[in-house]
Amino acid sequence: MRIELDRPRCEGHGLCEEAAPRLMHLDDDGELLIDVPEVDGADLDAAKAAVRVCPVAALRLAAA
Amino acid sequence: MTMRRIVVVGNGIAGLTACDSLRSAGFDGELTVVGAERHHPYSRPALSKALLHGVNGNGDDGLQAHELPEPTHEATELLGVNVSGLDVEARVVRLDGGGELPYDGLVIASGSRAKRLAPTEGAREPRDDGFAPELTLRTIEDAITLKQRVAARPSVIVVGGGPLGMEVASGCLQAGCDVTLVSDVQPLSRQLGDHLSGMFTAAAARRGLRVVGGGKARLIDFDEGAGFDAGARVVLADGTQLEADLVVTAIGDEPNTGWLAGSTLLVDGSLRVDTRGRLRPEIVAAGDVASFPTRRGVQRVPLWTSAIDQAKVAAVGLLRGDAAPELNFQPYFWTEGFGLSLKSVGFTPVAGAPDYREPGKDPESMLLRWENGDGSGTAAAVNYRIPIPKLRRLADVGPGALRLAAPVSV
Repeated sequence: MRIELDRPRCEGHGLCEEAAPRLMHLDDDGELLIDVPEVDGADLDAAKAAVRVCPVAALRLAAA
Repeated sequence: MTMRRIVVVGNGIAGLTACDSLRSAGFDGELTVVGAERHHPYSRPALSKALLHGVNGNGDDGLQAHELPEPTHEATELLGVNVSGLDVEARVVRLDGGGELPYDGLVIASGSRAKRLAPTEGAREPRDDGFAPELTLRTIEDAITLKQRVAARPSVIVVGGGPLGMEVASGCLQAGCDVTLVSDVQPLSRQLGDHLSGMFTAAAARRGLRVVGGGKARLIDFDEGAGFDAGARVVLADGTQLEADLVVTAIGDEPNTGWLAGSTLLVDGSLRVDTRGRLRPEIVAAGDVASFPTRRGVQRVPLWTSAIDQAKVAAVGLLRGDAAPELNFQPYFWTEGFGLSLKSVGFTPVAGAPDYREPGKDPESMLLRWENGDGSGTAAAVNYRIPIPKLRRLADVGPGALRLAAPVSV
């Protein structure tokens, strides 16, 4: 699966980073960077958790 | 016993998170989720924020801001279905209309509903066309009704000076309405403390918000048979009378526990779970409906991240019992309005002025930290973009944490 970011929706809460710190992080300007866009296995659970926690649904998982 | 059938009552973010977490923890049995709303879960915080304010970067007027991705938990979803009772001995959830759902494990995530002003004698029931003298904001339907009504730029009375009342007031002001907020105390002071409350109240005043106090509010309808735009009157305990085209109440929420009345689960009317979300070994509860142990006592904390954190713990608590991790709850809360955006980590309200203050890029942008009496810290970012993990470190460790390099991810 592939993590997709809808950048205009992102408000920089960073709850996703907390759920999946290996896969994404907010940089010093508060912009979200997806470090590992293609995920499977254990990363997939973390990616799902990150997608689920975003209160503005800026993240989605799509078929790779 | 082995759990083959788990029923989740409630399909908000707590119910959704419980379903996902049960699956992540390896539960592959029969999962059923019952939701009173007709929709898949959506983001409630977005309703009074991006949706009402009509802002997000997509040019869709905020109308999709609340939409969450489709669920992937493969539960049987019963949407638009109300539950009517629970028999804990027979292990059966009763549905409105007579159906029953037997379970081995139960997650109670039935949420809460908006409180309303006590109806006065002779007050009208909402009419068939949906017109009600008093609007509130809890569901997506509420939000769309409010957005439609506000578009005509009515005069508005908002009753309630908490975060929701202030967000609604901000959205209505931004839409060009004349807005009066009814609050006996400085808005947000009960939730955030005087310092942050003062910042928001000052910003609101600059944008034209009028704040009126005068004791408990009562709602008085205008004449019976009056038209859609007849408006309503609010009378305060001290006799102050306010009139406007539209009254919106934001006076808190009450947990949806009516269906549990005969269940023996309620203690003094509340649903008190342990540190693993449990009421009994086979019943857990999470989200706005549940009272749980926190650093500041057993309480309900009806917030987005609270619901998520509780639901994750409760799902594992249901499957693993005492072997499951306990909830270590640290609040994360955000609000926006009147040109200010606040993110806060740690318990609020905070007393007095902050112990630490770091300015940001413009005069209204800053990071703040309070050292609380109980030894914990509370950190707040005002108009300051900062990752929540970093804000948590500021709350937990103090300003020194800002200077440390973030943990390196591999």
